[in-house]
Amino acid sequence: MFTFQCKRKRCPYKSFNFSPFPICENGESYQGTFSGFSVEIQDPVQAQSLYDNGCFGKGSKSRGGPASGDADETLLLGLEESCFLAFYLEVLSIEDLSGSVMDFQAFLTAAKQLNERFVENLACYLYLKSKNWVIKSGIKFGGDFLIYKQSPRLYHASFLVTVQTPCDVDYYQSKNLKGVQRVAETSDKDVLLLRVAQAGDVSRPEHLQEITVTETIVRRFNYSTFVQSKQQQ
Amino acid sequence: MEKKTTFSNCLQIIPKTSFLRPEELITHRHVEFEAHSGGLKRTQNEVSAAELEELQRAQDSLRAQLSVPRIERLGGRALARWQEKQQVAEVIRKDGKFENFGYSNQGKLYLEYYEALFLLEVGRLQLEYYETIVSVEQAYVLLLGELESEKYEHYLVYSALSRAGYIVVKHQPQRLAQPAVTSEDCIWALLKAKVQSQPVPEHIKDSPFYTLVEKRMEDVKDIIVSQKIEASPVREEAIDFHFDTQKRKAPAEPSKEPATKRAKFCPTGQSLVDQLKNETSYAKFEKLFQKFDIVQLEGKDYTTDESIDCPLKITFDLHLHNEGFKKSSPKAPAFNVIILPPRFDFPHHKQISNILKFHTAPLLVVSVSESKQIQAFLYHIS
Repeated sequence: MFTFQCKRKRCPYKSFNFSPFPICENGESYQGTFSGFSVEIQDPVQAQSLYDNGCFGKGSKSRGGPASGDADETLLLGLEESCFLAFYLEVLSIEDLSGSVMDFQAFLTAAKQLNERFVENLACYLYLKSKNWVIKSGIKFGGDFLIYKQSPRLYHASFLVTVQTPCDVDYYQSKNLKGVQRVAETSDKDVLLLRVAQAGDVSRPEHLQEITVTETIVRRFNYSTFVQSKQQQ
Repeated sequence: MEKKTTFSNCLQIIPKTSFLRPEELITHRHVEFEAHSGGLKRTQNEVSAAELEELQRAQDSLRAQLSVPRIERLGGRALARWQEKQQVAEVIRKDGKFENFGYSNQGKLYLEYYEALFLLEVGRLQLEYYETIVSVEQAYVLLLGELESEKYEHYLVYSALSRAGYIVVKHQPQRLAQPAVTSEDCIWALLKAKVQSQPVPEHIKDSPFYTLVEKRMEDVKDIIVSQKIEASPVREEAIDFHFDTQKRKAPAEPSKEPATKRAKFCPTGQSLVDQLKNETSYAKFEKLFQKFDIVQLEGKDYTTDESIDCPLKITFDLHLHNEGFKKSSPKAPAFNVIILPPRFDFPHHKQISNILKFHTAPLLVVSVSESKQIQAFLYHIS
């Protein structure tokens, strides 16, 4: 049976009370501005609340959540997470720089210009999010996402996720896969390859349900240690 | 060494072969040479006297190193003859145990090229080709072929895994035979025939257990009908019957095993990262989670069109030493090995799931890099 690492961090947040989603009461929603690069939350209370409930975004002046205490620190939301908050969870409204509210179609067009594989990434984001993972950017380890149990404050990431489309096979090149595998392994992570089957025309949030995903985990296997451990039994 | 006898007529016997003293044997077995260090690496000839002298010295030390008489055990070596046509080595004389090597055909034991080369390298085989003894160096060319082929990589993997302590055998496709009929099946078939008047299937009727079970059932019926409590004959028969099943059950076991192994190692159609759904936070927000649970895992698909263009094949099966491996009736292997030659892409999900459809053991992808390094990878797929 396949098992994976969920290593707890040595940290002071022992009784960290978290909720996986920000909940909006009375139909209120968070306000974000699409800056052409990411979605910024200006209001410090909203920013803190978004980070505390589900660990969304990153403080503009901090490594993790907004923690500098500066009045001008904003919360930066990635493309996938802001799209998820706005159009799937429906707790965020995104405005562009001119102040008009962006709908799904407009956001998608803008996001696709920044990242041509945005739809595939979004599909994987939703896939993992629906399985209760906390998803952060994986750029630090050379992948698309890092996924955490509960919160990055409490646990180390369990997987480095790379998103693939059937047409790009670069990931399966021996040196690339071995490279990413080594990077992940030194920090006790597994490489999770998510292969997204053809994203057709997506113009509404629910169109994503036609997309399917396959999972592959490739692990380095120490064959000599394995056989020695078996012989000792 | 000379042996002198100092008897009356002073007869001198000189043996034909010479023998070394034990101390000499030990010193000769482990002659160590220190590599001559020549400073920094140079890439161009200077053509100076000093350089020529240095070259000469290097060559002399290499010659000295290579011309040391090697001491090896004479016995403990099997003899085999290389059959070029079939590309196998026929074992002429066995020495020691050969239980994990070779295959028998018409009473003769044959070794595959990688087995022969491996045994030759570890000094357990003397290979002959047209009545001449083949050196290890010659064997490389003879057995692996002069042209570049996958044979060298296969040999490297074979040798590395064998040395690591696995039993490596050529991959045998699993027979997709029906599970052998057990006495239990016979009992159920008979019961169905008696109670529901269903006909007994032919393959159960053919089973060696069938007549036994039928007879026993009749006996039991007689006892119940006549209400006689005659314990002794029944018990005797029961014991008899028990022995019988045990004897015949043994070969049936390997074909039964895959059923459980498959469930264990091949969770096709199941996500590998579902575990967090058991958290309390998931239960609390389940409705919300389900709201956006719209991207689904690709289910099992039984299209076989892609199996044709998959260049990767299972080459070896790995068995463990302490699991009682038998050449004649191998159990389900511990691993199936796919060899990934240099510059080949790793197999992706579809290729792996296509292979796993027919196989039950975990897949080990062994990659041989351009520098001939060997690294194994284990695949887990949804």
